[in-house]
Amino acid sequence: MAQHVLSTCEQPLSSLSANLPEEPLSTKTLASFISLIIVPSTPEATISSIFETLTRSLQLSRDPVVLHQTLKLLSDIASHRPNLSRLVSDSVRTHSPLSSESTRLAAESLDVLASIAERDGTLVELDDRSFVSLCFGPSVSIRSWLLRNAERFSIGPYVLLTLFLGFTKDPYPYVRKISLDGLVGLSKAGDIEDPGMIQGCYCRAVELLRDMEDCVRSAAVRAVSAWGLILVASNPEAKLHWSDDLFVKLCSMGRDMSMEVRVEAFDALGKIQMVSEHILLQTLSKRVLGITKEMRSLGQCPAEQFEILASSMAGVLVHGLEDEFYEVRKSACHSFRTLTIISAEFAGKALDLLMDVLNDDSIFVRLQALETMLYMATFGHLKVQGTHMHMFLGTLTDSNMIIRSSTRKILKLVKLPNIELFRLFVDGLIESLEKHPQDEAGIFSALFHIGRNHGKFVVSIINKVSEEVEPASEGKLGFDSARVAALLVLAISAPLSHKQLACSIPPRIFSYAVTLLGRISAALTDVMSQDALLTYLTRCSRSTRFSATEFNFREADPGLHVIDIPNSTSDEINDTVGTPLQQEEEHGTSKLQSWTMMETMEVAAPLVGYQLEAHHEVMEAMNLILSKVKVIWPLILSGFTNEVLRTLRSFKEELAAFTSESLGSGGAVAFTLQYLRVMKQLAKVWEHFLPAKKLCSSGIGELDLVLGKLDIGLRELRRRFTGLSLEQELQILELILLSCTLRLCKVEICCHFASLKKLSATLSDVDSILKSGYIEPSNFVSEVGKLLCLIGTSGSGTSCSPFLFKELLKHFSLKQFVLCGRLDQVRAELVVPDNDSENPLHFVSRLPVGIPCKITLHNIPSENKLWLRMTTDDESTQFVFLDLNLFGSSAEVREFTYVVPFYRTPNAISFALRVCLGMECFFEDVSCVKRYGGPERELTYLCQEKEVYLSMII
Amino acid sequence: MAIECLVLGAGQEVGKSCVVVSMNGKRIMFDCGMDMAYHDHRRHPDFSRLSQSGDFDAALTCIVITHFHLDHIGALPYFTEVCGYRGPIYMTYPTKALAPAMLEDYRKVMVERRGEEEQFTSEHIVECMKKVIAVDLKQTVQVDKELQIRAYYAGHVLGAAMFYAKVGDTGIVYTGDYNMTPDRHLGAAQIDRLQLDLLITESTYATTIRDSKYSREREFLKAVHNCVAGGGKVLIPTFALGRAQELCILLEDYWERVNLKVPIYFSSGLTMQANTYYQMLISWTSQKVKETYSTRNAFDFKHVLNFDRSMIAAPGPCVLFATPGWISGGFSLEVFKQWSPSEMNLVTLPGYCAAGTIGHKLMSGKPTKIDLDKDTQLDVRCQIHQLSFSPHTDAKGIMDLVKFLSPKHVILVHGEKPKMATLKGRIYSELGIQCDDPANNETVCIPSTHYVKAGASNTFIRSSLNPNFKFSRCSSEDESDSCLKDRKSMPWLQVTDERTVEGILVEEKSKKAKVANQDELLLMLGEEKHEVQFAYCCPINIGNLEETKSKDLTSSNNVPCISDMCSWLRMLYIKLSDQLSGGNVQDFGEHIQVESVHVSICQKDRCPYRISDSSQNKSEAVFVCCTWSVADEKLAWKIISILENFNSGTY
Repeated sequence: MAQHVLSTCEQPLSSLSANLPEEPLSTKTLASFISLIIVPSTPEATISSIFETLTRSLQLSRDPVVLHQTLKLLSDIASHRPNLSRLVSDSVRTHSPLSSESTRLAAESLDVLASIAERDGTLVELDDRSFVSLCFGPSVSIRSWLLRNAERFSIGPYVLLTLFLGFTKDPYPYVRKISLDGLVGLSKAGDIEDPGMIQGCYCRAVELLRDMEDCVRSAAVRAVSAWGLILVASNPEAKLHWSDDLFVKLCSMGRDMSMEVRVEAFDALGKIQMVSEHILLQTLSKRVLGITKEMRSLGQCPAEQFEILASSMAGVLVHGLEDEFYEVRKSACHSFRTLTIISAEFAGKALDLLMDVLNDDSIFVRLQALETMLYMATFGHLKVQGTHMHMFLGTLTDSNMIIRSSTRKILKLVKLPNIELFRLFVDGLIESLEKHPQDEAGIFSALFHIGRNHGKFVVSIINKVSEEVEPASEGKLGFDSARVAALLVLAISAPLSHKQLACSIPPRIFSYAVTLLGRISAALTDVMSQDALLTYLTRCSRSTRFSATEFNFREADPGLHVIDIPNSTSDEINDTVGTPLQQEEEHGTSKLQSWTMMETMEVAAPLVGYQLEAHHEVMEAMNLILSKVKVIWPLILSGFTNEVLRTLRSFKEELAAFTSESLGSGGAVAFTLQYLRVMKQLAKVWEHFLPAKKLCSSGIGELDLVLGKLDIGLRELRRRFTGLSLEQELQILELILLSCTLRLCKVEICCHFASLKKLSATLSDVDSILKSGYIEPSNFVSEVGKLLCLIGTSGSGTSCSPFLFKELLKHFSLKQFVLCGRLDQVRAELVVPDNDSENPLHFVSRLPVGIPCKITLHNIPSENKLWLRMTTDDESTQFVFLDLNLFGSSAEVREFTYVVPFYRTPNAISFALRVCLGMECFFEDVSCVKRYGGPERELTYLCQEKEVYLSMII
Repeated sequence: MAIECLVLGAGQEVGKSCVVVSMNGKRIMFDCGMDMAYHDHRRHPDFSRLSQSGDFDAALTCIVITHFHLDHIGALPYFTEVCGYRGPIYMTYPTKALAPAMLEDYRKVMVERRGEEEQFTSEHIVECMKKVIAVDLKQTVQVDKELQIRAYYAGHVLGAAMFYAKVGDTGIVYTGDYNMTPDRHLGAAQIDRLQLDLLITESTYATTIRDSKYSREREFLKAVHNCVAGGGKVLIPTFALGRAQELCILLEDYWERVNLKVPIYFSSGLTMQANTYYQMLISWTSQKVKETYSTRNAFDFKHVLNFDRSMIAAPGPCVLFATPGWISGGFSLEVFKQWSPSEMNLVTLPGYCAAGTIGHKLMSGKPTKIDLDKDTQLDVRCQIHQLSFSPHTDAKGIMDLVKFLSPKHVILVHGEKPKMATLKGRIYSELGIQCDDPANNETVCIPSTHYVKAGASNTFIRSSLNPNFKFSRCSSEDESDSCLKDRKSMPWLQVTDERTVEGILVEEKSKKAKVANQDELLLMLGEEKHEVQFAYCCPINIGNLEETKSKDLTSSNNVPCISDMCSWLRMLYIKLSDQLSGGNVQDFGEHIQVESVHVSICQKDRCPYRISDSSQNKSEAVFVCCTWSVADEKLAWKIISILENFNSGTY
């Protein structure tokens, strides 16, 4: 094919170069060159001859179309054959129609030259005169192209400046816009130093602020800002005067009808470093202020102009904050950052407005407002007052995590005027902790910092509430209460603010705080290491006289810096404190420090077409396996148990191919696997009920064991998948009915009554599904119903014999399970970061220890109750409740870190915990299990047990 | 050509809006409202002023309705069905959709409750609506060959629009009611920069300047939150459309953020119906609602439930939106009776309540007892929160709009007389725009723009294609707007592009007007070029000159110079170059040239340009003759004054 093209192309080529060199090239011939140039295999010689032909064409042709194409081809040659680019460049330069009457061709050849030069990293050398004369050509599009690309040619800055300035008068709006953009570009280069020129540019741009076109006005705002700032900088003696002038000019654009212009205006306002205070204050009030009127009486400007001036500034920033477009509001919020630094009075008034912005409907704007406040706090201009509290405290308990953490950052820096506000903030933080325990680290850190900044207040608060912290009468510490923990953190911060205050806090408080060492130190990684904290707490708890200066704590700016702990600092603290024992633990502690709270945003992964297709394939495979299960059901009944088990195993192997997260159908695969497991147990159970089977070989407990496994399997099948249809659920319920029946068939089964109760409970579930779904009950279900009815009327369950239940089994027939739609597996992942037998967590014997768990939940609705079960080697078990409402909105995947307290630490050098996450089942009978402080109902475990290693701090 | 503006309603009052504008032979009626305060003929505009014969079809080109409020549309069915107007009527789609319900509601209240004679029937409303042509925003509608109208977004209520009307070269804008600041559910008014002869704007709040809406929102949320947190019930009486949706969006947002679980109820059918309209008319709502629409319809309120009577006495906190807004009766009154005796509860009141309603009584002070009727008295112990949300623009918004549009003339309607007068003054003094506030049934005539079409000569077209800009320095004193600028500051660069300046409009009798380049003008007219030169001949005291000369030259040259013309000229040259620092002074020996000013020693005894001055001794005086062309007049007088200063002896 390529060969064919080549030959057809070469023909005209050879004929041209040989016979008719004077004839201009036809467009058709030129078109045929393209493929030759692009194909890499075209021999060098052909390319050179094409190049020569084109060069000749450039010289001879006067036809603009041909010339245009020729230039295009030359440019293609240059880009595809870098070795020829220099030749092309020379040829275009010598023969090009630069001087010809067609500015379009001139511009095109300039483009070719420029792109060749750019590949070499150089600029095209072009004399100013020809560039200017090209710009003055009549074609508007060429003019705008040239102006836009001016920086690609080495044109003198003053020539460019003249051109740009001149063309700001062009009747075509786009030329004006490009000229203004060019002026902005020039301002960045900083080549222009002549004060007259700078002022000229500024004034010219100011004139264009009143242009009719939106795009010109927004370019003008940029240009005014750029040149205005240069003007301010270049006039040291009239700095304020020009800065005010610039500010007022930009303010007048804040009420423009075009959103883009407004955004530019507020962006530009945020860049101004210096403004007179009265002007600033006027921008916050829509009414003309008295102070502005005074300025008028001082004769600074004529009266009639004054009115216009004041009304153009009045309330501009307020308007910006209440704009319809969030882009404008955000930009306005941002502009407050620098402006609040200029004047404290302005900052106070601005804060009132910014507080109100926390009600904005856009999260971007709210965040920007908080960021601005943080900025103000950093510069000491954040004066919080009582009127702000409602809004401010609201953000502490906001449902959005980022908002909460931004608010806490501000709190860490804020200075509060009185104890009432301080108490409100502390209460707000504690409330936030109760509502959002996953924020613990952040909240502890905030409490610690505000405590440190307001030591006196802390002392008076702690002394009032100290009895809350004290252990209850039976000697049990209430440290699992969030409030107590928060108060402890607050209390221990006090000695760091003023040394003489330490004595006011009861020393035992510090020893209580030691019990929360892990949690507190996780929160205070920016201030001190765990070792330092421990030493600090021990010291405080021992002696009432204590000097904060002994500790070399980092005065890190908590809001503005990323937490970063160099090892040397922690060594330094250790040296000062001088506890040699802790050096040994160095490795472990730094590991703990490096672990920080992870705050991960939920990311919804979009479903892509091919995924759907793959999903479909997986579902088909699953249904195939499920249909085979139905086929082997008669084998189970006939007692071919071994064969059945072998077949089920083979099915499992088939499934193994799909086990990894197969493109969104993982749920279906997991379900099928679970179904196979249930079948396996069912087959094993059934073995015991076969008439021919004699049970002498198996132990008496074996059936109970298998039945127990079956129950667990069925429970998981029912609870761990979401997206089941009513019919599918019905099928599972039938299996549960079957397992209950099987239990009841057994003469020797002990908990007869419980099984009966479960049977009737399950049946009522089945009934409700039947009713809501208008589904006909199967033979088996209706027979179970009849039998239960019979038992109910006969008075007591004892009268019915296992025989009746055995009869029921005959009515059961397995239906084929058909998967359709999307099934999601309810599951969880639990990781304890940086923990293994080599790197154990540290604990103090008989005191609680915090275990940081990184938990990922999949498809768990918030209404479910989750528990963490922690079991020690001696099988003592502790349950910790996990309130799902606290960990973000309900979504497919939730990821968070939670520090789980473990209370019963043994008196041992080290021990291991097995942690597992379980979900409480609603449908299970309450009376089944009853553990003190634990879940009321049976748990369905959602993940593998995880071993956690702990070792004592010696 | 003139625009005649006849105000039939809302002239110096807030009532029935109706303005009839005649321009270039077209007559448009903007709004056709009714005044609910009257129950006689005054409730309608005086239509008889339009046409004595009653042939309204001939008298009016079309009617334009801005929005569905009764004071803007209330008289429409009466005018079309009873008075018999059959011409076109224009309004936006939402207005057309919502107006029938409003009119029907009003008709029912009039007839069924007050037992009045009905002005129009339900059929009339239906028939009237059939005549309506619905328009979209920014859609240019060609009413007839010459008249164009176009709707622009006005905020205020759902579907409210400002209308631009254009006949020939005359363009006007009628705003209706509008809002320049957005709220939670509607955007701010938005309009293009147009060439306008007249802007007719509402002026309900002609002197009010409102603070940020954020503080109002915060107060409201705080009051509601505190009430429900204390277990109280909140009653928000509103009308079906507008405020209810705005407040509900606000509450929903807050509920979401603060994670409140307290139920929010909507009382009954009409409000739910209204929500449906909002859900459908998303393109007429605020930017925020439009942006979130792809994920969620903001009017699908998540927390909002339906309320029924049995829940009035139910325990526990809740928030209830109930109609009507002024607690003048209906469901809101029923609930109010039940809830007002408890201190825990809260009632919010809208910014304005009609006199005589319970809402009005609550607003004026805080009564503890309210008489429902003769026999029943109600204990009011609940908290009361007044909302000051308003869908009208404030004075600043009106000024901003007028400033943005910069029309040649402004007419204020729909406001209170004294306040309008204040605003009128501000518009004139701050913006320099003529402004009127006519009373009802007054007519205002204002001049209108008329453009002449002109051809352009080829030379002119060619010359205007090529840029031809010039830089010049001009003193900052000329600049009008920068008063912060130091007046002594240096002259600054000014850019002019002369392509358009070069054009000359030639209008010859019985010929089409033409724009020509200045170079070809003489050719076109077949005339020769004449130049005007000014001349002035003034005496200079030789004695002074000598003195100056010796003073200047003694240091360099002790020999006194011959007093001849050349040396005098030389003296003058030195003096002028010295004084005119920026000018370009050239010495040509015979004369001195500064730009076009030509200075020479006059040798004539009788120079026609000489102003004879007998006091001067002729022998001691030298006459200097100056000529210049008109362009350099300023410069010439400056030079002359320098020359004459030789006489005064100060040098």
